[in-house]
Amino acid sequence: MCLVLQVVPNARNGVSTSYQPLAGTYDEMVQSDGSPRAHTKRIHALLDSTPAREFARYQSLAELSLYNQGVTFSVYSDKQGTEKIFPICLVPRVISAVEWAKVERGLVQRIRALNCFLDDMYGEQKILQQGIIPADLVLGAKQYETSLRGMKAPGGVRIPIAGIDLIRDPDGTFRVLEDNVRTPSGVSYVVENRLVTKRIFRENIEMSSVRSVEQYPLELAHTLRSVAPEGVSDVNMVVLTPGIYNSAYFEHSFLARHMGIDLVEPSDLFVDDDTVFVRTTHGPRRVHVIYRRIDDDYLDPKFFRPDSLLGVPGLMSAYARGRVTLANAPGNGCADDKAVYPFVPDMVKYYLGEEPSLAQVDTFVCAREDDKKYVLEHLEELVVKAVDEAGGYGMLMGPQSTAAQREEFRRRIIAEPRKYIAQHRIELSCCPTWDPARERLSPRRVDLRPFILTGPEGSWVLPGGLTRVALVEGSYVVNSSQGGGSKDTWVEREAIT
Amino acid sequence: MISRVADHCFWFGRYIDRAESSARLLQATRSLVFDSDIPVTHCWQPLVIVSGEEAPFVERHGREALGNGELVQEYMTWNRENMVSLATSVRAARECARAIRDQLSLELWEEMNELYLWLGRETTETLYWENREEFYRHVRRGTQLILGLVRSTMLHGEPMRFLWLGVMLERGGQTARMLDMHHHTMMRENPHDIVRMALWMSLLRACSGAEGFMKKHQGRVSAQSMIEFVLFEPAFPRSIRYTLKAAAEQLGGIWGEPSHTSRARLASLIAWLDSQKTELEVAQIHAVLTQIVDEMAAICSRVAEEIQGPPRVPKASVGTPPPSQTQSQSA
Repeated sequence: MCLVLQVVPNARNGVSTSYQPLAGTYDEMVQSDGSPRAHTKRIHALLDSTPAREFARYQSLAELSLYNQGVTFSVYSDKQGTEKIFPICLVPRVISAVEWAKVERGLVQRIRALNCFLDDMYGEQKILQQGIIPADLVLGAKQYETSLRGMKAPGGVRIPIAGIDLIRDPDGTFRVLEDNVRTPSGVSYVVENRLVTKRIFRENIEMSSVRSVEQYPLELAHTLRSVAPEGVSDVNMVVLTPGIYNSAYFEHSFLARHMGIDLVEPSDLFVDDDTVFVRTTHGPRRVHVIYRRIDDDYLDPKFFRPDSLLGVPGLMSAYARGRVTLANAPGNGCADDKAVYPFVPDMVKYYLGEEPSLAQVDTFVCAREDDKKYVLEHLEELVVKAVDEAGGYGMLMGPQSTAAQREEFRRRIIAEPRKYIAQHRIELSCCPTWDPARERLSPRRVDLRPFILTGPEGSWVLPGGLTRVALVEGSYVVNSSQGGGSKDTWVEREAIT
Repeated sequence: MISRVADHCFWFGRYIDRAESSARLLQATRSLVFDSDIPVTHCWQPLVIVSGEEAPFVERHGREALGNGELVQEYMTWNRENMVSLATSVRAARECARAIRDQLSLELWEEMNELYLWLGRETTETLYWENREEFYRHVRRGTQLILGLVRSTMLHGEPMRFLWLGVMLERGGQTARMLDMHHHTMMRENPHDIVRMALWMSLLRACSGAEGFMKKHQGRVSAQSMIEFVLFEPAFPRSIRYTLKAAAEQLGGIWGEPSHTSRARLASLIAWLDSQKTELEVAQIHAVLTQIVDEMAAICSRVAEEIQGPPRVPKASVGTPPPSQTQSQSA
């Protein structure tokens, strides 16, 4: 802070000086009059004293450093194996301690409810019998794996690793947009972004009031160990990756490296007598816990996809006998299905007997006749999403759509109503973001993906999470594959009272 | 360690060392052409042959082109279809490094990545055209830095041993092929003493041995002493004997027991090489080198098989088989 105060004579000449928030949205940094919020005063003052030219230099240093370190993702559909960095904007997104405490409570509650729901779906299915959730909505979805019914997850934990996408509405309320309880990705960028921020801002800001994120891999290792099959003393854990051409390969190797455990590909594993082994130079070695970053479909060709050459034959049989832990559990897709999402608040009430503490977005489920009728009549106002698409694909942004696009979606919804949901467009919150064309900060829309680790003893939430930002002016799409970038997320340390 | 990872470590070492020796050889040959009084073709042709690329090169550019230094350099530096070009080696090394990213130190990975990215830059191509020496020097330094970081920042455990095994076997093979090629040129050309001298010096430079040789022999240069130096000198880190011994040391560290075929064959090869020292005749050198190169190739394929580990689960010890249960699958 001293440093910032010393440069006061130059202040009011920096990148944030002329920044104007976007009308109709909540701004993460400033209030509507352009003055900083209580918890953003320090970073605002720093930006206020950083001239645009200097900031531009910081930006290019940050990008170069990520590129040289190979902190990249592979571009799907590109056989050349082109790698791109996930662009970072150095202006952090800051969350106050009070706000975060509330979000954290809500996330833990939500994961508990989703875990109960999954146990129920692969067990008695009480919530369906009670008519709280329409049975065919869950059981009819391709994400529901009938053959897994009756299988229990070791330690009773089906979602050791979750990523819940949050957005913030114009009132500043955090709302859940989407649950990810299969193989959520992005956490490595959280840790790497912090390292970049620290390296570049080192002389300018002391971050002692920001909560650290670097402990994530250790917490993950602890969580994975805690869900090992019972009675194993020397737990051997591995990270299972599809291989170096997978878009998230960097993250897979990052996590393996930081946990100090082996990174394996399916062909490294084999199953004998319902026991999983990894092929080593000294012969087969037993594996107890697999943090798999492979979709259900490609886990075990014997079980899921007989036509697939990928996967580990016999893996599911070992899992069913409780000889190996798969994190996350197979079959979780029926809990983060977009068509099931509208019922999560009901799950919280039903399983936990609590009121949901996190809000979410009101959703029309086209499988319901009334909802479908409303959606078809209001296509130009709504955001329509296909329930089984991710990455921002298969979406209709009603207010920005053409008549032809709306017609296309009308046809698709009528043909397969189960496949679509719709929501009113929420004006996502904005954060000041480096705009290289104008060489200044401009408001850009952001979301937030916090990561929640859960073991038999309870949950741990990574402070903050991945803030993704739609770098293109006017865009709402934050996905890395479609012009999104990321920001370091600072959670303010609680004030000592 | 995981078999696939061990294999990648081994190949990472080979590709990096291959890139370094290619850069070194290209540089040494350029220098030879400049003032050695040897027909240009006889300078560049051996380089293509040593790399095992004569047939594809001739098919692509014609036999005449073997005398075209620019074409040879272009082919040996940039050609993506040439499996031993600099660009291919660096790209393959980086591919391996990515697959074993969790085994490498951050510093090591960064240098590998930077060398790879540097080679793909437009400014690097400009450098290639404007300052060839500096270009090769950059590649040499990049690979040397990587090899130094392997020793100084990686755990000296199995992954590093496999990596270094790859480096040593590649290096020994390269030295053997270069020596053979120079010997061949010498026999065919039967050149004047001054030219002969230039050729031998070029060989020494290509394997970074010129200064070491002079320290041993105080300026007395003869075919016999040169060949002995490159084949046997225990203190010269690129002599064939040195690289074989170093490879044997790594194999010993990886497999505690001597039951592995690769270890036994390597030990026999070293013993056989030592036995050649007393009766070595310059004229027979080709036969000796051929034997070495073939046997090294055979050892490499043994290693590739042994890396896969004993194939079946030892039923008696389902659980965690201790390393001592290891058996060679073809003992």
